[in-house]
Amino acid sequence: MKGLIKLIVIAIILGCLIGAILGINAPVISYTYSKYLAIAIVAALDSIFGGISSTLKGNFDFKVFVSGFFGNAILSMLLTFLGDKLNIDIYLAAIVVFVNRMFLNLTIIRKYYIEKIWTKTKEVKKID
Amino acid sequence: MNDKTKKLKIDKSKLPVSITIGIMCFIIVYIMCIQFKTAGSIEESSIETMRENELREALANWKLEYEEIYIELENNKDKIKEYEGKMASNEEAGELLEEEYKNAKMLLGLTDVQGTGIVITLTDNSESKFTSENLMHLINELNSAGAEAISINDQRIVSMTDIVDVGEFIMVNGKRVTSPYTIKAIGDSTYLQSALSIKKGYLDEYKTDGYTISMTTDNNVTINKYEGEMTLNYVK
Repeated sequence: MKGLIKLIVIAIILGCLIGAILGINAPVISYTYSKYLAIAIVAALDSIFGGISSTLKGNFDFKVFVSGFFGNAILSMLLTFLGDKLNIDIYLAAIVVFVNRMFLNLTIIRKYYIEKIWTKTKEVKKID
Repeated sequence: MNDKTKKLKIDKSKLPVSITIGIMCFIIVYIMCIQFKTAGSIEESSIETMRENELREALANWKLEYEEIYIELENNKDKIKEYEGKMASNEEAGELLEEEYKNAKMLLGLTDVQGTGIVITLTDNSESKFTSENLMHLINELNSAGAEAISINDQRIVSMTDIVDVGEFIMVNGKRVTSPYTIKAIGDSTYLQSALSIKKGYLDEYKTDGYTISMTTDNNVTINKYEGEMTLNYVK
């Protein structure tokens, strides 16, 4: 388990580094498509926070996490595209949903750690 | 040995997971970098980055300006039409003026003219010689018969023409003319002829006095223009 975490940390660091290096040197895309990228980023972040909260809850599923990460991003981009075609800002609705869920997940994470720290200090006090 | 294989096994089985997570990290960081760059490099004033409302406003402004300019254009077009009309009328006036100018020149004797008329030849003989007064008399007769252009030995008779005796010679337009004197006149040839050749007329009178005169009609008399200069110093 420890080895796995190590590997994952290495993978995260490596991925972030390569992504940053390549991203900084990447060309600027046109303004029309930057909207799609933005919604994809929000969807991916939502997936990540969802993954973290579900890990804390103990019902984390890697397949669900990966499919949510890519699926949500692609779906939100498709919705944005549809919204462009329908002349409706559907991407606003998608952002509202994603950000709402992000806050909910953040609340779960926050509560978890507050409780953990709280119980720890209590235990420490009890031991004292 | 056993421990090592176990560790390797775990690593192998968990490798796809870490690779997937790495790829996901890579993708999200890459996209975020691009997005940050794009958002940072956008110029607020360029049309591609303007919000729809701003574009609408700009469009409305341009439309207003367009309408104003269009009205101005229409006004200018009208002005151009007006000027064109004026120009056309000016041209007409110019044509009229030119015609008048030509007419005036012809009347003054400043152009070569052609037409039907008569040619009279006066030749000195031993008995009698022509003087300036005889020539003036003839010209007077021709003018009274309606001659429109007269010349003596290709010297055009104009309003300023002088016909004077200078010693032995006759000067016309300040130039010496000698016998035979060829007088050309354009006008109604039959009328001119009859006016000169009636009884007690010019020809009759001079012939009886012993002068040598001949007269022919010509359908195509050419009379050259006056060659001197016409300047007015005192007429105002």
